Amino acid sequence: MESCTAVERELDKVLAKFNGLKDHSNNTLDELVSSLHSIGNELQSEHDLTPTQTEILTQTLKRVRESVQRLSTEHKDLHGSVSKVGRSVDRNFISDFTAVTPDTFENEKNNNLLNEVICEHFLRQGMLDIAEALTEDARLEVDSSRKAPFLELHRILEALKCRDLGPALEWAYVNREILLAQRSSLEFKLHRLHFIELLKQGTCRQREALLYSKNFSMFGAQHARELQVLMGSLLYLPQGIENSPYISLLEPIYWEEICDVFTRDACALMGLSVESPLSVGIRAGCKALPPLLSIKQVMLQRQVPSVWSSKDELPVEIDLGKEYHYHSIFACPILRQQSNENNPPMRLVCGHVISKDALNKLSSSNKVKCPLCPVEQISSEAVQIYF
Amino acid sequence: MGDVKSLEHPTLKVPYEVLNKKFRTAQKNIDREVSHVQSSGNEFEKCLQKPTVSVGDVTQAIGNMVEKLTILKRKADESLQHEIDAARVIKRRVDHLKEVENIPAGAKPLWQKKRLDRMIVEFFLRKGYYNSALKLAKHSDIEDLTNIDLFLTSKEVEESLMMNDTSACLAWCHDNKSKLRKMKSCLEFNVHKQEFIELVRQNNRLEAVRHARKYFSNVDSSQIQDIQKVMGLLAFPADTQILPYKELFDPGRWHTLVLQFREENFKLHQLNTTSVFTAALHAGLSSLKTPYCYKRERDGKPTDCPVCSKHLNEIAKPLPYAHCANSRLICAISGCSLNEHNPPMILPNGYVYGFSALAMMASENDGRVVCPKTKQIFHLDDAQKVFVM
Repeated sequence: MESCTAVERELDKVLAKFNGLKDHSNNTLDELVSSLHSIGNELQSEHDLTPTQTEILTQTLKRVRESVQRLSTEHKDLHGSVSKVGRSVDRNFISDFTAVTPDTFENEKNNNLLNEVICEHFLRQGMLDIAEALTEDARLEVDSSRKAPFLELHRILEALKCRDLGPALEWAYVNREILLAQRSSLEFKLHRLHFIELLKQGTCRQREALLYSKNFSMFGAQHARELQVLMGSLLYLPQGIENSPYISLLEPIYWEEICDVFTRDACALMGLSVESPLSVGIRAGCKALPPLLSIKQVMLQRQVPSVWSSKDELPVEIDLGKEYHYHSIFACPILRQQSNENNPPMRLVCGHVISKDALNKLSSSNKVKCPLCPVEQISSEAVQIYF
Repeated sequence: MGDVKSLEHPTLKVPYEVLNKKFRTAQKNIDREVSHVQSSGNEFEKCLQKPTVSVGDVTQAIGNMVEKLTILKRKADESLQHEIDAARVIKRRVDHLKEVENIPAGAKPLWQKKRLDRMIVEFFLRKGYYNSALKLAKHSDIEDLTNIDLFLTSKEVEESLMMNDTSACLAWCHDNKSKLRKMKSCLEFNVHKQEFIELVRQNNRLEAVRHARKYFSNVDSSQIQDIQKVMGLLAFPADTQILPYKELFDPGRWHTLVLQFREENFKLHQLNTTSVFTAALHAGLSSLKTPYCYKRERDGKPTDCPVCSKHLNEIAKPLPYAHCANSRLICAISGCSLNEHNPPMILPNGYVYGFSALAMMASENDGRVVCPKTKQIFHLDDAQKVFVM
């Protein structure tokens, strides 16, 4: 925040000065022109120039010359303020933000891959024209069969956002088998929403609502409790659901939820991640860059050679937050090292887990005392575990 | 706020360079008009100093002076307005960057999406995907937040260079003369050199010599060798096989000129050679990359991990892994984190899952659980606790 306000402060100063100078120069020049005009008007009536008039003219001329010269100087003096803006940008923002490696996208293959990722990113959001423009500009070869699922997904989502359940129900019906295998409750939730919409209209459509409830029969086992709630609400139809204990059914949260449920289940079905990998990657990068840049600066100051491009790991742990944890990571509590295939995690008899290297270092003649508890045990009884 | 500080330098620096340039042009314009006023002032004075001063002469001189002053007024007004506009562009961007601090949490994803779009626009522009860049900027309404104008000017120059036309590039060089000199740029020299080569290629050797006299006679002494080499061309036919003259005739040199121009243009506007987009993507992928993302035995189960997605997986290959000093365990069945409320349990085959997921599976299958990785079946009672510190 301070960085922005610092720049803003300088900017405001410059803007004020420009505006001031602009008014000032207009006024001065206007004034000079009008005084010249008035002298000119006086002259026309007479025939010869009197010494006084010559004197007045010389004076005015002097004034004109000084004023315009001052105008130029005043503008020149603004240079300091202008360059202060530039300096404050430099001081408050980091100009060299490459932290990890030099650009690997110079390489043709990676560049094409990246373009494909971007293209998919736009397809996902239904921004078809931009995806197409990119395909053309970057000469990508995108199979139209790859586009289709994204387009369908987007179409259904748009409909859901407009509270139109039709396309989603159709899709859920077609994919019922797979959805059930995924333990998805999407179809039930869609039917439920439709049912609630009917309930909202009161008794005039209760027959329709009753007929529609047939759709719930196949979800009886899985969603018994919710079904009871839905059917129970029929009791209060005459007085309106909003005046009944079932008022919670009307909350808009169901509509908000359904978009998420649909996206999640549809993406899982198509083998896609819920969010665009590019968005997630960039968001993580925006979080990771500041700490990486500051460690880079420290390393440069201490003259640690070649930052870390060739190394296997980043130099610091970057806390991106829970939502970015996708895989289990085991770091040995003894050696403080991440496990890998050569150094896997081992579960001791007492249940504590340490890395294989640590186990080897701690054990002598096939005996080991757990470093985390008092249990003595035989080292070979430790088993490798998999996360 | 750290991210704005780390990522937005070009967002503000480029329009600042534009402002700076506008300032210098304004100064030049004002100075020119001021000197016109002064010279008409000189004439005026001369006229007044005559022994007899005729009114006619004076009126004419006054009219002349008024005219010069009006022009000065108009020019000064215009130039200052240009400067104000340029400063406002920066201000708009600062305002946009400041927004992120004050918007409610719910609106943040939208701001971040806009940021991603801004980054992609810049990336497209750098790659020369102008059409896509323009479309995206329009679609996301971020035209005045991205440096489109800068790139569109360079597009023109690049295109004309690719058509072996040097005029646009030379005009650009002239426009930015003082800055280029400060940068010790040899772009202009290289362009003239290329012109010389083209003249020799057309067998217009006399013209080539004239050209060389005009442009090469007052260059830096460090370039003397370069000039000598190029002058040597005069002795060879255009289809010579002798190095280095064959190289000089290579049409690929035009492309090199384009690249050099692009680089100088970036430098002139204080742009980094890499884009924010790729820098952020690299940092992001690296901080997400785990050895697991590259294990061959990965079951087909989709994950939301960006590094595991097909293309990004390939792109992230040369990048360093994330550094983790502390264990963090995720249940491979439910994707939930494992902790004291959902303790990790080990099955007899060595695989670890969360208690909640195993218990739920067991409750549906008479107490039996299936390991999703090995498909072996165990009883829930056979699962043991694991303690991970």
